[in-house]
Amino acid sequence: MNNWKFNFVVPLSPLDLILFMRKFISFFIIILFLLSTFSSKAGSDENDQGKVTLSGYVHDQSNGELLIGVTVYCYELKTGAVSNMYGFYSLSLLPGKYTMRYSYVGFNTMEKEIRIDNNLTMDINLSPIESVLGEVVIIGKRTDENVRAPEMSMVKMDIKTIRKVPALLGEIDVIKVLQLLPGVQATSEGSTGFSVRGGNSDQNLILLDEATIHNASHLMGFFSVFNNDAVKDVTLYKGDIPAAYGGRLSSLLDVRMKDGNTKKFGFTGSIGTVSSKLTIESPIIKDRTSFLVSARRTYADLFLPLAKDENVRKSKLYFYDLNLKLSHVINENNRIYLSGYAGHDTFKNEFASMGFGNQTGSVRWNHLFSKKLFFNLSLIYSNYNYELGTPEGDANSFKWTSQMRDYSARFDFSYYISDKHMLRFGATTMYHEFFPGTANGLGSESAITEFKLPAEYALEHSLYGSDEFKLTPKFTLKYGIRFAVFQNIGPGTYYTFDQNYIPVDSTVYRKGNIFNSYTSLEPRLAFTFLASEVSSIKGSYSHAAQFLALAQNSTAGTPLDIWFPATPNVKPQLCDQVSIGYFRNFKKNMYEASVEVYYKNFRNVIDFRDHAQLLLNPYLEGELRIGKGYSYGIETLLRKNEGLLTGWISYTYSRSFRIIPEINEGNKYNAPYDKPHSLNIVVNYDFSKRVSASATWVYATGLPVTFPTGRATVGNAIIPIYSNRNAYRMPEYHRMDLSVSLKGRDKPGRKWHGEWNLSVYNAYNRHNAWAISFTHDAVDPNITYAKKTYLFAVIPALTYNFKF
Amino acid sequence: MKYCKSIFLILLLSVTIYSCTEKIDIKLDESYARLVVDGSLTTDTMSHIIKLKSSSSYFYNQPSPIVTGALVSITSGTDTYNLKEDSAGIYRTDPSVYGVAGQTYTLNIKLPNPLGGHTDYSATSTLNPVVPLDSVSLLFHPDWSEHGIWEVKCYVQEPPTIDFYRFMILKNRTLLTDTLNEWFVTDDKFFNGNYTNGATVAYLQQGSAKEGLAKGDTVTVEVNSIGKDYYNFILDAQAELRGSNPLFSGPSANVQGNINNGAIGFFTAYSTTRSFAIAPGLKKK
Repeated sequence: MNNWKFNFVVPLSPLDLILFMRKFISFFIIILFLLSTFSSKAGSDENDQGKVTLSGYVHDQSNGELLIGVTVYCYELKTGAVSNMYGFYSLSLLPGKYTMRYSYVGFNTMEKEIRIDNNLTMDINLSPIESVLGEVVIIGKRTDENVRAPEMSMVKMDIKTIRKVPALLGEIDVIKVLQLLPGVQATSEGSTGFSVRGGNSDQNLILLDEATIHNASHLMGFFSVFNNDAVKDVTLYKGDIPAAYGGRLSSLLDVRMKDGNTKKFGFTGSIGTVSSKLTIESPIIKDRTSFLVSARRTYADLFLPLAKDENVRKSKLYFYDLNLKLSHVINENNRIYLSGYAGHDTFKNEFASMGFGNQTGSVRWNHLFSKKLFFNLSLIYSNYNYELGTPEGDANSFKWTSQMRDYSARFDFSYYISDKHMLRFGATTMYHEFFPGTANGLGSESAITEFKLPAEYALEHSLYGSDEFKLTPKFTLKYGIRFAVFQNIGPGTYYTFDQNYIPVDSTVYRKGNIFNSYTSLEPRLAFTFLASEVSSIKGSYSHAAQFLALAQNSTAGTPLDIWFPATPNVKPQLCDQVSIGYFRNFKKNMYEASVEVYYKNFRNVIDFRDHAQLLLNPYLEGELRIGKGYSYGIETLLRKNEGLLTGWISYTYSRSFRIIPEINEGNKYNAPYDKPHSLNIVVNYDFSKRVSASATWVYATGLPVTFPTGRATVGNAIIPIYSNRNAYRMPEYHRMDLSVSLKGRDKPGRKWHGEWNLSVYNAYNRHNAWAISFTHDAVDPNITYAKKTYLFAVIPALTYNFKF
Repeated sequence: MKYCKSIFLILLLSVTIYSCTEKIDIKLDESYARLVVDGSLTTDTMSHIIKLKSSSSYFYNQPSPIVTGALVSITSGTDTYNLKEDSAGIYRTDPSVYGVAGQTYTLNIKLPNPLGGHTDYSATSTLNPVVPLDSVSLLFHPDWSEHGIWEVKCYVQEPPTIDFYRFMILKNRTLLTDTLNEWFVTDDKFFNGNYTNGATVAYLQQGSAKEGLAKGDTVTVEVNSIGKDYYNFILDAQAELRGSNPLFSGPSANVQGNINNGAIGFFTAYSTTRSFAIAPGLKKK
């Protein structure tokens, strides 16, 4: 529908590329120029109605961190604003006296009487709620954000909530906590891979300070790359993805790193069963410049040298993460942020070695053209690579490497035009480099010749604009559009395939030659209707295109799975989604409840042929089978955020199907992550100021699976004959986790705060099936049986957290 | 690709080091019975065998039912060999028959009663040229596993064409690789046109009674130059036999044979060459 393509028949030369880049740059200069003229008008900050602007930044009083998503509410006007990703808010008001309320989960609500005659800049510091016990709990001041915010299908997690959830091996992980929310599922036991609304895990856009993380996993997926000590805010959009972002069909996971303490030097850390971590943050210039350095490393291998076996002693098995951030306030209108991340997994034994990791970096500049026009420029680098090999000195010795790199720039504007309109617009551009794989012989004795898959390059651009329009105090309309362009650019080798997916021809394109382009026009529409003071109805529609896909055929995937771009053979995957929800708060916002229903329709969905060869295959595109799909579901959530007892219950019913002509004889089959029922219960109870306990219970239908319905003997082996694709299911999954934490005694003047955390994963020792295989008896090979592999029995873990 | 797969297994082991397995009861539906064909024609002068069986339900727990009374023949277009059923379900050519490189052979089967909805089945396979094996060597690694492991290495001038190989290992004329999941198959992606300077084709466990070598034991390597479809058949079947896991396995799927009318299995023609090495005595530790 919204997709057409044009091919550049005439090959372009490097000169054309330069011309193209110049055009692109001049395009941005024009945009900037237009904006600056238009902002000079906006810069006067005057409205037609004589309104003035209240704006500023919201900080955490304890450490100066900018707070994202703080609700700013004006009692008299019954209107408000929300602080953006950089803690900035802006509100148009008529001059006068008002009572403003600043509220944020986990922080004491602040009320402020203001008298505003001219534009007013008011930076706010909110103090975190240290402990609910022994303090006067002010009822009725809780935020009604759940009902009021013109956003749906969105979940925000603050680090405090994430920390309370019991974790596998005591290693708290943001992604695993998100998996406890409706519509989000783990791809397999203990995995940080996740499926949103039945989609594939490669349909999630994962950003860390705006840089794409191509593989968010450590240690074969059991831990994510996000070190929670360095993370400030986690937002997951399951639908209604802001127009500023695109390129994925299922979700956007936006992870923001802390900016570093601007008030005082401090460090936090933990010593755990699997890993230890240390974070140092400090102001360099108080309230203006700050930094954060956070490091995490696992140390299972540190004990390997104690092993008896020499080969075990030489083995390596660890991962590390390093997060760096530097924030600087240049002046009232300019701020700059530098972020960096590097992580790597290393595995080595006498037979093989493997390593993989992400490196990202971003530079961001916030500029206020006026109190109404917020601008952000980001320059972003992202890299993922892996290497795999065997030791030198053998005929089979080899080394195999693969890499993917992105360079991108984005311009984002937030224009707080009036109390009725909030405009967001901008442009993005990205250059992708794919080096899918090179295998070399290693050492003089190796007989292996070099085997290299051709590199691929692509450009991805977008222009977007959206308006949040408060039609009436009760009705907010959000509409927007995103125009995306994806281009394959030379040098590149492009294969054509016949009807049987056999490569018949190849074309080599010269450097700079744009040999294929796809465009996509993606409308977004959403509304919020306040049905009453405590309830609302929200709805949204969006169209999305995805130009990259992951060559991953298994449910959990491995670090070796490579990303590949859309090409003339592989059309972009498309998705239309509609969702509608009812949001209701109870007991003066003590309880938040929501019900959402969604339907998604997919086109050009990618699956793989039976027994697909996805690794080191130059004809990878010949392994793809393209079709359509659809999914639907209902998601319910009841959440209690404050009080001694906090937590949530979520239940999801969801289905997801695919229809691909060459798979399952063209019949509809269950998509790989089709899990009809899913129930999650998370509770935390504060027994005293020092002691709290948490429990989670999860239940889910097993993933679809293909089982044998017959067998044949060939080559003295029993070969299974299978059912239709995904016609069976794994056994149902359920598990309970528990944790208790004990804080050290607080004494006046004591700066060191310690906390012990004891967690038990899989408390009632359920043997949840990770894999089911069919095998034969060792004595009588004619006797066949099914066996299940389960990963975790009861796993207790002890962690000591500290803060100075 | 084989090397990559063995690495995955090693990596997988490291991941699942704390994992456990146990039997589980699963209720499976019954599928209809199909013809199962398993046979070959090689460059060796011998009595070549085609086995005919029937498929069964997965938990049948007895040897596969045998298909008897069929008319079985192999033809190259010019020559036709009729096979005789000398024991139930086992059909043999005359001992003087041998395959010729470059020829395409067709297997024809006519069943007395329909099985899987058909009585007539056929399959074709082209016999690939012989690749002469230079020599074989044995290398003992005393520190690999408790009793040590023998590495069987192979020296071949690999031709520049795209080729696929199967390696069969015999110890003193007894076939060690007697089941499909023990066959080592490889393509020539990493070796194409090169001299394979001792590429590993098998590992023998010294601790195993079947595989362990004493001084003077002969280890024979048989190289089969096989077709791409048979190579894929073996790899796919091995993948299914290895069992599935969420890290590396794609969805389970039927193994594509080359028999028509929905029959299972494979008829393959291939060339064979052999070379051997004699095990040296081991130094006492």
